[in-house]
Amino acid sequence: MPSADPAVLAFDCSTTACSAAVLAGGAVRAARFRTLARGQAEVLLPMITEVMAEAGLDWPELGLIGVVVGPGSFTGLRIALATARGMAFAAGLPVAGVTSCEAVAHGVPEVERRGQTLLVAVDGKREDLFLQPFAADLTPLAPPRALMAEAAARLAEGPVLIAGDAGERLAAALPGARLSSAPPLPDARIVAALALARWRAGTALPPDPLYLRPPDVTLPPGAPAA
Amino acid sequence: MIILGIETSCDETAAALVRDDRVILADVVLSQLDEHRPYGGVVPEIAARAHLDHIDRLVAEAFRRAGLELQAVDAVAATCGPGLIGGVIVGAMTGKAIAAVTGKPFIAVNHLEGHALTARLTHGLEFPYLLLLVSGGHCQLLEVRGVGDYARLGSTIDDAAGEAFDKVAKMLGLGYPGGPAVQKAAERGDAARFSLPRPLKGKPGCDFSFSGLKNAVRLLIQEQENLSAQDRCDVAAAFQLAVADSIAGRSAKALRAFAARHGGARSLVVAGGVAANSLLRQRLGRLAAEEGFTLVAPPLALCTDNAAMIAWAGLERFRLGQSDGLDFAPRPRWPLDPAAPRLPGAGVKA
Ligand SMILES: Nc1ncnc2c1ncn2[C@@H]1O[C@H](COP(=O)(O)OP(=O)(O)OP(=O)(O)O)[C@@H](O)[C@H]1O
Ligand SMILES: [Mg+2]
Repeated sequence: MPSADPAVLAFDCSTTACSAAVLAGGAVRAARFRTLARGQAEVLLPMITEVMAEAGLDWPELGLIGVVVGPGSFTGLRIALATARGMAFAAGLPVAGVTSCEAVAHGVPEVERRGQTLLVAVDGKREDLFLQPFAADLTPLAPPRALMAEAAARLAEGPVLIAGDAGERLAAALPGARLSSAPPLPDARIVAALALARWRAGTALPPDPLYLRPPDVTLPPGAPAA
Repeated sequence: MIILGIETSCDETAAALVRDDRVILADVVLSQLDEHRPYGGVVPEIAARAHLDHIDRLVAEAFRRAGLELQAVDAVAATCGPGLIGGVIVGAMTGKAIAAVTGKPFIAVNHLEGHALTARLTHGLEFPYLLLLVSGGHCQLLEVRGVGDYARLGSTIDDAAGEAFDKVAKMLGLGYPGGPAVQKAAERGDAARFSLPRPLKGKPGCDFSFSGLKNAVRLLIQEQENLSAQDRCDVAAAFQLAVADSIAGRSAKALRAFAARHGGARSLVVAGGVAANSLLRQRLGRLAAEEGFTLVAPPLALCTDNAAMIAWAGLERFRLGQSDGLDFAPRPRWPLDPAAPRLPGAGVKA
């Protein structure tokens, strides 16, 4: 029978960071966070084995894997999701997915959010940004989308607070909006708590990538449609 | 000893279980051909997405088919390069994750070593032997001296042989993948009607070149007023003959060099998708016989990309006491013979 308070291993590679954390009995038992633009494929597994060892947990004692499914770096999403799916298969564990925007939003202090609409902007390494709006109490107002910064104004009414690693780019297009002091990148400690809450509520996302953009290819002229 | 193998370096997603007595317990391959066909070639981002969608399910399917539990494996082997890096990463991470949870050793396999050692899985061949690797991304002659011990005798200096087949098929409007289409058209063609060059013929060494031949085909096609169905078949036949001649000619030199170095050992192994070409097989068979060699050609399904060869290469390394850390960095480029000079025109892999 699954425990009501399972120990959670969470990790994230969706942006320019790599992090892993173990949450058990309501407390973060071990956590690592590194900013790095590339090389998550090398760093992630050693980081996971380190937090598992530091938390003193063995795989059978885990009850849930939490992972960020996107939006973000396509390669980063695949690094984390291939790992999560491989672990789910090998350990027989469920996976609870959360979005990168949610993970950033949950790092914004309550005092900053009060009376504001929160817009989280994640860098998509293209002209457009990955954006998701949240109410002051962090209820998502829409799913994440790939949008030009200029189009973001339509997503939010009233005073706007901005977070995320593309926050400054978004702020430049939204005069009057304020930048949050929150960390701009997702952190596995927050992902773990969020994944557990979503899993308990039955609202966790499946471990499928949220790319929000089709592959960057065009059909050759005269080719039949796929 | 049982090894799990994972392969995701190009457009086949594959998982396999192989035992040290050379028995393949399960061999599951999912081709992405249909997803790439509209683009006339493999699209890296589409490939990477498809690998992630399927690899965990295929691994589970391999265990189901073998009737084995996960704990039955002694180590986990995954292709960690060379290849399309987005796909390689998916397989590498899947393998690392399974190794981490089970506590089994992880083995980072060179995809080319998988091809190179397949003849030991299928035929129990002893070292050393000469390997001709002819695939979509490679055209190489390698002296296989032992596990992890390779000397490159020759390589393409521009296009790979399979790549040339694919490009010529495109020019002739024969579809993708080009190799089988060209072969089929050539069966109805007259190879003698057009004369095409034999690249590097008479030049020293065992390197290959196909881009000049490809351009000659392009010119030939442009010269024809209206390309009839018969014209297409004749061009295909002339091209196929030129490739087979060229590969056989360069291989002849490698066979002699190999024989001079290793008196008794007399096996020529052919691997890679282009080994499916019957004219090439014929030519190589004849050449081997003339030079006193035996031609060893693994079954086709084990010549093209598959995970049984990855599991086997992992097994060969594992029983020598080798394994890799979970921090192993996937490699887009990973030559079998690191001492051989990098060839300027030969793409990222050679
Ligand atoms: N009958 C044939 N004649 C000639 N070429 C063929 C034939 N069948 C397949 N090929 C060619 O073989 C290639 C595919 O082989 P394979 O799957 O071994 O290559 P790959 O995995 O794409 O490349 P690599 O292993 O170098 O990364 C394609 O280029 C295809 O056109
Ligand atoms: Mg191959």
